[in-house]
Order: sequence, then C-alpha cells, then structure tokens
Amino acid sequence: MKGGGFKIYAVAYLIFLYAPIILLPIFAFNNAAIIAFPLSGFTTKWFQALWAEPALWNAAKNSLIVGVSTSILSTALGVFAARASTRYNFPGKGGILGMIMLPLVLPEIILAVALLVLLLGIGVPLSMFTVTLGHVLVCTPFSIAILSAAFQSLDRSLEEASYDLGENAVTTFWLVILPLVMPGIISSLLITFTISLDEFIMAFFLAGTESTLPVYIFSQFRFPQAVPVIMALGTILVLLSITLLSIAEYFRRRGIARTGGKDTGGFL
Amino acid sequence: MTLPAEQPTMIEFKDVHKYYGDYHALRGITATIRAGEFFSLLGPSGCGKTTLLRTIAGFEDISSGVVMIDAKDMAGVPANQRPTNMVFQSYAIFPHLTVAENVGFGLRKDPRTKEEKAKAVSEALEMVGLTGFGARAAHALSGGQRQRVALARALILKPKVLLLDEPLSALDKKMREQMQVELIKLQRQVGITFILVTHDQEEALVMSDRIAVMFDGEIAQLDDPETLYRKPANRRVANFIGTMNFLPAKIVSETSQSIQVEAAGFGSFTVAADQASGKKGDEETAVGFRPETLTILFDDQKASDREAMATVEEVVYYGDMTYYDIRLDGAPVAMRLSMRNVPGRPVLDIGARARVAWSTAALVLFR
Ligand SMILES: Nc1ncnc2c1ncn2[C@@H]1O[C@H](COP(=O)(O)OP(=O)(O)OP(=O)(O)O)[C@@H](O)[C@H]1O
Ligand SMILES: [Mg+2]
Repeated sequence: MKGGGFKIYAVAYLIFLYAPIILLPIFAFNNAAIIAFPLSGFTTKWFQALWAEPALWNAAKNSLIVGVSTSILSTALGVFAARASTRYNFPGKGGILGMIMLPLVLPEIILAVALLVLLLGIGVPLSMFTVTLGHVLVCTPFSIAILSAAFQSLDRSLEEASYDLGENAVTTFWLVILPLVMPGIISSLLITFTISLDEFIMAFFLAGTESTLPVYIFSQFRFPQAVPVIMALGTILVLLSITLLSIAEYFRRRGIARTGGKDTGGFL
Repeated sequence: MTLPAEQPTMIEFKDVHKYYGDYHALRGITATIRAGEFFSLLGPSGCGKTTLLRTIAGFEDISSGVVMIDAKDMAGVPANQRPTNMVFQSYAIFPHLTVAENVGFGLRKDPRTKEEKAKAVSEALEMVGLTGFGARAAHALSGGQRQRVALARALILKPKVLLLDEPLSALDKKMREQMQVELIKLQRQVGITFILVTHDQEEALVMSDRIAVMFDGEIAQLDDPETLYRKPANRRVANFIGTMNFLPAKIVSETSQSIQVEAAGFGSFTVAADQASGKKGDEETAVGFRPETLTILFDDQKASDREAMATVEEVVYYGDMTYYDIRLDGAPVAMRLSMRNVPGRPVLDIGARARVAWSTAALVLFR
C-alpha cells in the first residue's frame, strides 16, 4: 500500500507522544497507591486528597499569581514590540528582534542560572516576583510571535482611513487597531499563562522558599504515597492546558479570518 | 461639461518634489485644480499618481514645494486636519464595525445628537444606494457595496475635496461602467471637487472635466479630455490616450500663421501653426493621425480635402467597426484606420487597393 510506511510511523509517533499522558488519568482513577498494572478498581479518592493539601493550595495560588502577571506583562511587551516591528523601520531592527526572540532557543537552564546569578548579585531577594521576571523572559518571544502575525495581517490603509476621518494616533489605536488585534491579544494571554503555569526550571531556581505547582509536583515525587495524588493533579493540569490552548487557537484563527489575512502558522 | 476657467482654485501645487530615499518620485509638479471640478490623474503604473494624491491627503510629506488647499498652505497640517477625505483602493472598510458604524466613523467628534447623526448616516447610505444596509457586518459586503460604503463614509463629512485612488479597479467591467456613471452623477449632485487616480484612459476620458497625464513623476499634459485626445502634447501622451499613427515628416517652411510640411505618402501640404504640438525640437518631426480621421472612399465618394491610393495590409473585424492597416503609396509605414461598418458596404480584403481620404486640419504636427 502506498504511504503505508508513513502511516505506521505516524501512529507509532502519536503513541509515543500521548501514551504517557493517557496513563495520567488511568492511574489518577486507579484504586491503588502503587503505579503499576494490573489496575485495581475505580476511585476518586486521589482527587479528594488534593483538597486536603494546604501546600498544594499555596503552590496553586502562587502559580495563578505568577501566571496572570506573566501573561499580562509579556503580552503588553509583545504588543509594543509587534507594533514597532511591523510598522516602523529603525536601524538594527533585524538584530534587535533576533535578540528578543533568542530566549526561545537558548537552553532554559542557562537563562535561569544567569538570571539567578544576576539577581543575587544585585541583591534582589528570590520570590514570586523573580519567578515572574524569569517567566516574562521566556514568554515574551511567544507573545511577539503571536502578536506580530496579528499586527501583520492588519491592512495599513485602515489606519490611514481612521486618520483621514479625523482621528489621531491614540484614538486610532483604541478604535481600530486594538479591536482588530484583540483576538491575538487574548490568544497571547492564554498561551503565555499556560506556559507559565507549567514552567519548571525558572520557578525552581528563582522561587526561593516558595513553590509553584510544577515545583511542588517535583518535590512530592520524593514520597511514593503521594504519586497517585500527583497523577490526579496532573490530569487536571493537562485538561486545563488543552482547554486554554484550544481557546487561544480559536481566537488566533478568528483574528486572522476577521482581518482578511492568510494563516501564517501558529502554535497549534 | 468643462467648467468656466474663472472657477476658484481649490488645490494648487507649486514645484512639488518628492524623494523616497534616492528615488525621485515627483519631479516638480505645478498644477491647479479648480473648485467643483472632476479631476483625474492618469498615467502608467509607477508614474507617481498615488504619491501625488497622498500629498493632498497628508499621508506623504513632500521634499520641497508647496501644496495649497483652499488657499491654505498644507505644510505641517496632518491628515486628520485637512479638508479632504479619501476613498482607498482597498476601500479600507473597518472589518469590526457594521456598515452604519463605518459610515458614521468620522462623526465621533461631531457635536450633533445621536439621532441627528443616525439620520445623517442613513441619508449618506441612501445617497450611495445602500438604504437599509446599516446593520450589515462590513465583511458581508460585495466589492461594489464596499466601494459605496467607502464613498458614503467619506462624503458624510462634506469634505472640500474627495480623493479616489483607483476606486473602480477592483470591480468587473459591467460594474465598473455602472459606477463610472454613478460617480459622475454623485459628483454633480454634491458639487465637491473629486480627484480620481486611474491608469485607465477610457475611464479618465469618460469621467473627468480635466485630466493630468503623468509620466515618470511629471505632468506631461493637463487639459480637458477633448483637447487631450485631439491635440496631445507629445507622442507619448498621444500613444497613452487612444491610438495615433505617426508618419515621419519634414518642415519645409514656417511662418507665424502656418507651417509647410512634407511627408512621404501625404505629399506636401500646409497646416495651421496651432496644429503643432509641444515645443520645437522636442522630438523627431512627424505628423499624427487618429485612426478615425482617415476614411476609405467607396464607389464615387469624393474626398472633402485630400485623397491618395493605398494598399490594405491587415484587416481586423469588430462587428460594428473594422480596423484596417493601410499603407499609402510611397509611405514608409502602415497606418491604422477605423471604419464604421455600414450595411451593403464590403469589408475589404488584405491586398485590396483603396482610396483613402483625410483632412489636413485633423492632423497633429510633432516636431
Ligand atoms: N513608500 C515608498 N518607498 C519607496 N518608493 C516608493 C514608495 N511609494 C512609492 N514608491 C515609488 O514611487 C513611484 C510612484 O509610486 P506611486 O504609488 O505613486 O505610483 P502609481 O502611479 O500610483 O502607480 P500604480 O498605478 O501602480 O498604483 C513608484 O516607482 C514606487 O515604486
Ligand atoms: Mg497607485
């Protein structure tokens, strides 16, 4: 059969990719403290156990605060950068943009260590604030990529029409540009929030005595009896991530369709 | 439909230059556009039509010179404070707003009440034939409808000048011809100065009171359509607007009243001094004929002025018209000739001999 080899490869790849994720809910609902087959009955007790875990609630609260702050900050930075890079020409534009996008490909552990050394050097105490800083560094390139596409698909003459009809640069931004890139902004907020939510390395290095959800999960793996609970938590996190990313992609596509542009990629 | 010359000036260009980096896009534009005029900027792609239009709108800074609108120097006046409105080539309809919101966009700072504004919007929509379309989403419109929304949006502000950048180029032929007529009517109705950019010579001839023909950032000729067609300033203009035949010629003698010319195939003849175009020495001397000023004589028809024998070299049949390429005996090149087809009159074949008539008063002398 033509293409059969490719089909087998594709199926094998998908199994490799998703089998671990499918195992999460299986063991989250499995009535046994040990992660092993055969399964021994259905239970929701691991989910109930989540409620009675103050350290987990604290980590979740931290993650939420960091995630929201990160998504707002990096999206705001992304708006400025995308606007500048699609509308204005300035010397060294390519180089500067390249530098901004660099964190996307640099090993995160290098970034985290460098940031840690810097922050300790200038005497900034480690806290959720420093984690947010690290996350903004990681997330801003994603924001820029999403928002550049949104700004790029904006027809220049729409802005000119607004000036022509008596509006100035500020009112044009509010009345024309912002509504048209809003789907991109929502998409960027959701994606950066999701990235921040499950980012581990920065949070591990920069959190000080506090912890975020991923750091909490990592620390719990020292206790074998906590593993099914972590499976339950992981199940919730996976569902949350998928939901957020789907909504983000919906907004990204809607934005491009609305401004009449062509789909030029995206993360999903 | 030419307006009287004493109509007040609406726009004045004085030696306007525009550079994009090293590229000299506008090279000394000097021209006057009158109030209430339907004015066209006509020229091939890249000649600077859009650039010139955008200097009026305020989207393009000029490198030197003066642009005046209604006797006010526009230097330093931003686009949102100029008494002009523009219909963009892409129409630039705001996709996130309804038709009514688009049309009313420019009324935001208008002191009128909400009801009065809504009334103004529905009047504007009525004017462009879109009554009842107010609640439609902007992206659910056809090309022609978008064009009308763009017109209504610009005209509702009652600008002194309406700028139109190739507004019809995105429409199909039928729709384009219909919109041409509607635009002319609309312009007469509102009495606003219209400035139209187009590269379609027919469109410019049909719609305009006056036309500026542009080449390479310069205005080659600024005249009413009839003068442009009848007496083009040079061979390039003549070729851009319609078709013209050129025959090499020689000037034998010249007085202030008349010029004695000799051209192979045409023989020797006298033309009035005002039949000569352009400045002396601009181009190789030639006489120019429009195809319809040459006629084939049938049977015992008589020439009113001059006639000569010719051979048919090519025949193109168009239904109502036939185009012939004919070569006058002794002429170095063939000439295009158009004849209206009349019942009972034969279409000639290639190689046929024919008597061709012309009037020396209809030719243009390039020198
Ligand atoms: N922003 C710009 N930067 C550099 N060059 C430009 C810019 N805008 C226009 N030009 C150049 O200036 C010249 C005139 O452009 P313009 O848009 O006025 O042409 P046009 O007559 O409107 O042509 P078309 O019929 O193709 O629209 C062109 O050669 C164009 O490449
Ligand atoms: Mg143009």
